[in-house]
Amino acid sequence: MNEHDKIRELLALAAAGALTSAEEKQVAEHVRSCIACSNKLEAWRPIASELRRLPTPQPSSWLAQATLARAEAKLTEQAEHDWNRRLMIVVVAFAWVLTIASWAVFHVVSERFERLLGPQFSHTFFSQTLFSQRWISFAAFTALEWIAGGVAAVMLAIRQRGEGRLV
Amino acid sequence: MALDADVVRLRRGDLNALSELITQYQNRLYRYLLRIVREPAEAEDLFQQTWLRVVEKIRSFDASRNFDAWLFTLARNLAIDHLRRIRPESLDEPLANSRHSENVADRISSKDHSPLDHALAAERRTEISQAMAGLPMIYREALTLRFEDEMKIEEIAQVTAVPVSTAKSRLRRSLEQLRDALEARYPGGTWQ
Repeated sequence: MNEHDKIRELLALAAAGALTSAEEKQVAEHVRSCIACSNKLEAWRPIASELRRLPTPQPSSWLAQATLARAEAKLTEQAEHDWNRRLMIVVVAFAWVLTIASWAVFHVVSERFERLLGPQFSHTFFSQTLFSQRWISFAAFTALEWIAGGVAAVMLAIRQRGEGRLV
Repeated sequence: MALDADVVRLRRGDLNALSELITQYQNRLYRYLLRIVREPAEAEDLFQQTWLRVVEKIRSFDASRNFDAWLFTLARNLAIDHLRRIRPESLDEPLANSRHSENVADRISSKDHSPLDHALAAERRTEISQAMAGLPMIYREALTLRFEDEMKIEEIAQVTAVPVSTAKSRLRRSLEQLRDALEARYPGGTWQ
């Protein structure tokens, strides 16, 4: 592609004002000495000029208000969602604190209970499974707690979703 | 600056900031969507969806970026998804039956400013508008972003997610296609 063809490709963009300053300079220099390109560039100008002055279509008058109303509902929904999430984080953290604290309480209470029952009791099968393996019983108890909590949360979510649909 | 402040306030959930942004962008955004989908009702629906998406995503918006480009990118993605769902053919094909039968050979120069000239100038713009509506989507988009929204090539490239060189060649081709469409309607450049 020679210089002339290269410049011809830039003429439409020159009319659109979409050239770099180096390209603009190149085009300006070329059209000064090339009548064909100069005429081409002049032919592009009215198209570009009319495109810049096209009438702006107007949206319906209610559009901004309707959009704002929908956006407000969305913002409220988002704020509610954020609040629920924060609440859930606090509740889960609290549940963990409670679980850890209850382990210490369980440990102390079970030891005292064992002592209360006397030394002969600690050799029985029941004592060995329940108190000597305290951590197993505690883990099972905690797991049950969390499963019950999870089931309750799922049931609440299903109910809430159902109510949402009804509204 | 005011725009940046509105964006910051919107990030905090301020509804007044959103109202100001909607007012500020109302005409530009609606026009852009209308040029893409060509149906006023669809453009209005997409306009609402765009702002809902803005509310949803504003927290992930990088404040150092250009809000204009981000907003138009959201609108573009929604419009393209919409067209893919409703009229997939309209993404590539020019509008059918877009040829205009009227002859405007007897128009006088646009340098005159009589009421008649104003009327003719308005009609000439309508012709261009119609010719533009007949172009494929990517060319309509390039023209509206450059000439109506006055975006720089770099911004157009950002909105349309293409390299600057592609944005440039699209703009050139869109102008060539528009000129061809006008010449096909009015041979000999009589539309001017």
